[in-house]
Amino acid sequence: MDQFVVNIIHRPEMVPEYAEKVTGHGKAEDLGRKALLTESLDIFKTQQECAHKNGLKTTIQMTYASLFNAEAVALAKEHHEKYGDEIAMTLLGLPCEQFREKYKTKDFCIWMFSMEDKKAIVRDVFEKFYDAFGFYPESTGSYYMDADLINFIKEEYPMVKCAVATCWEEGPKAYHTCNNSWYTFMDGGPWAPWIPSKVNTHAPAANEKEDSGIVAIPHLSRDLLACYDGNGSNFGTHPQNVLRGMIYDTKTWEYPYLYNLIDQYRSLAKYNEGYSYNMMFVGPGWMNKMGRWEQPYELLLKSYEDGCAYYGKLKKEGKLVDMTMAEFADYYRQKKAYTTPECALWKDILYGTDKQLFWYCDPFMRACVSMDQGGAIVDLRPYAAKLEWPIGIGTPHIQDASYPFLIQEKYRAGYFTHYAGEGTVRSAKVCYGGEEIDLCLCRTHAKFRQEGGKRSLVLDPVELVFADGLTLKLQTIHHFKEGSSSIETERHILSMSDPNAEVTIREYMVACYGTTEYTEDMSSLTLEVKSEDHTETIPYEYKCREAALAGAKEVSCTLPPIKTRVAMTADGEDKTGFIREGYAFSPMFTLGWEGKVKEQEVFRTWLNLERAD
Amino acid sequence: MAQSGKGRLNYRCPSCFMRDIDMDMFYDKDKGEYYCLRCQYRGNEEDVLAKNELARFRYGAMYQRFTFEDE
Repeated sequence: MDQFVVNIIHRPEMVPEYAEKVTGHGKAEDLGRKALLTESLDIFKTQQECAHKNGLKTTIQMTYASLFNAEAVALAKEHHEKYGDEIAMTLLGLPCEQFREKYKTKDFCIWMFSMEDKKAIVRDVFEKFYDAFGFYPESTGSYYMDADLINFIKEEYPMVKCAVATCWEEGPKAYHTCNNSWYTFMDGGPWAPWIPSKVNTHAPAANEKEDSGIVAIPHLSRDLLACYDGNGSNFGTHPQNVLRGMIYDTKTWEYPYLYNLIDQYRSLAKYNEGYSYNMMFVGPGWMNKMGRWEQPYELLLKSYEDGCAYYGKLKKEGKLVDMTMAEFADYYRQKKAYTTPECALWKDILYGTDKQLFWYCDPFMRACVSMDQGGAIVDLRPYAAKLEWPIGIGTPHIQDASYPFLIQEKYRAGYFTHYAGEGTVRSAKVCYGGEEIDLCLCRTHAKFRQEGGKRSLVLDPVELVFADGLTLKLQTIHHFKEGSSSIETERHILSMSDPNAEVTIREYMVACYGTTEYTEDMSSLTLEVKSEDHTETIPYEYKCREAALAGAKEVSCTLPPIKTRVAMTADGEDKTGFIREGYAFSPMFTLGWEGKVKEQEVFRTWLNLERAD
Repeated sequence: MAQSGKGRLNYRCPSCFMRDIDMDMFYDKDKGEYYCLRCQYRGNEEDVLAKNELARFRYGAMYQRFTFEDE
């Protein structure tokens, strides 16, 4: 039977990030302001009540500030006893008078501190927690938890088994949405729970040796289509985020989108061996008595009550299991093997289109396939590299926690570019009579199929019409073989109007590397095409060079800055492998294969990822 | 002319919202209008509310309830 698990998390954040800014407008900053502290605790109480009255248990994530508040501590103890809530500890909510006094900084994001400060803060918070409760927490978290931080916590406090460790696709888009003032750059991670590797939190562990020792959960369950293109903070299982996106009827105060989002997550069980997951974590600042943007308090409250009521209804119907974070960590370890992927064939539930995206995540890659672009891979993160990426003050990445991409169609264009150059995408062109048709322009849909350890995305056939009258039906199938670190792509020529015709298929991958919209220095990259007895190499110098070899064995690119080697191989010796360097106006590289196919034939290629060193 | 402040609710700029920017507006009591510090939008409450409705144009399925059972 399918199991849909929900974690509901509340934090008594005595100085909510937003409340201080909003309620305090026009007043001098005062973190100890009594009205603010009282209101924050009242909101926490309200949130707890919303969950409990719907029969749901919660994970109470105590903040540093709340550990100084006797009432908050007493409430947590009482609710643990009465409702079975877990008393955990968050590294969010650091700001308070005591913290400012001690650390002499206004920083509040744990992953951005220096390692020295991270250690001091973790010890401080965990020991303060112990003083208050007489035990150490089993769950913790923040918007992001970098690998060094997790490793330190596990070393010092081995009882920790679960952590909120990333916000899905909260990167440059969130930064832009917040008028370029919200520094949470953490794109490229899993959207659903995972076991982080010791080296890079975003990259799941492939085995016990790589296991960081915790189960990570995402901060909110986010819309896998809307958040990929738009502001992540509008489209998640956070009722007030839905209001922030103005996705509600202003007359009736109804928001079917919230329930669609929960239900679509629930439906993901069919791609993940009967398991699906949701997480709701609303900070008290979102239920501010002053209202939040256009929404009055009454609407903020109603949305939270409705959200809890919906989860409660699902529970009563036997369609949902509520767990604390620590309970979930145990459940997850039982349920998933290291290499078990997370899959999501996601459909648009907001814009009224029939678009579908397929998301795939395992310890070796995260990939996104767009059915609206004929099955093109539009996002690719090479987790196989398990890239070391220290974060925080004193490291090369003070704020940027994103896992680098090879392909990201929003940041580095996809099929469509202005005037010149190419954007990052993995697609194919079908060529005949001097004409090229890119599958990116063949809109279609897909179904998911699983046979043992092989998950396949089977696209509906598309019709290609050439100017001279030739028509053909082509079907794309992507195979993801568990543990393989590669994607196998098949192009089946199902039929042609002229059964004797022969068309050329040009499989290609245009890629680069980076974490933002802006290009990186490509000078250290090396392109290579090799056959049994010959190798052509192009060191990247922006010279627009290309090379091709008939009967090649492999085409590849090595990217030292992200310690990644990406290669493509093809089936059959009659294919030609090619590599293309980019140029300053198009700082990309291209790997590809070309070959001829007839009716009923298949062109098969593999995209392979590995660590470069 | 006194300094601007916040209005009854903390309205965002509808024009910026439509380009995925959450930009709080400030209220000019003398002119009775909200205005954006980032772009050129300004308008009274009625106009803000009307433009917010307009901003929802992209949510074509906002009122629709989906089922996922048969897929």
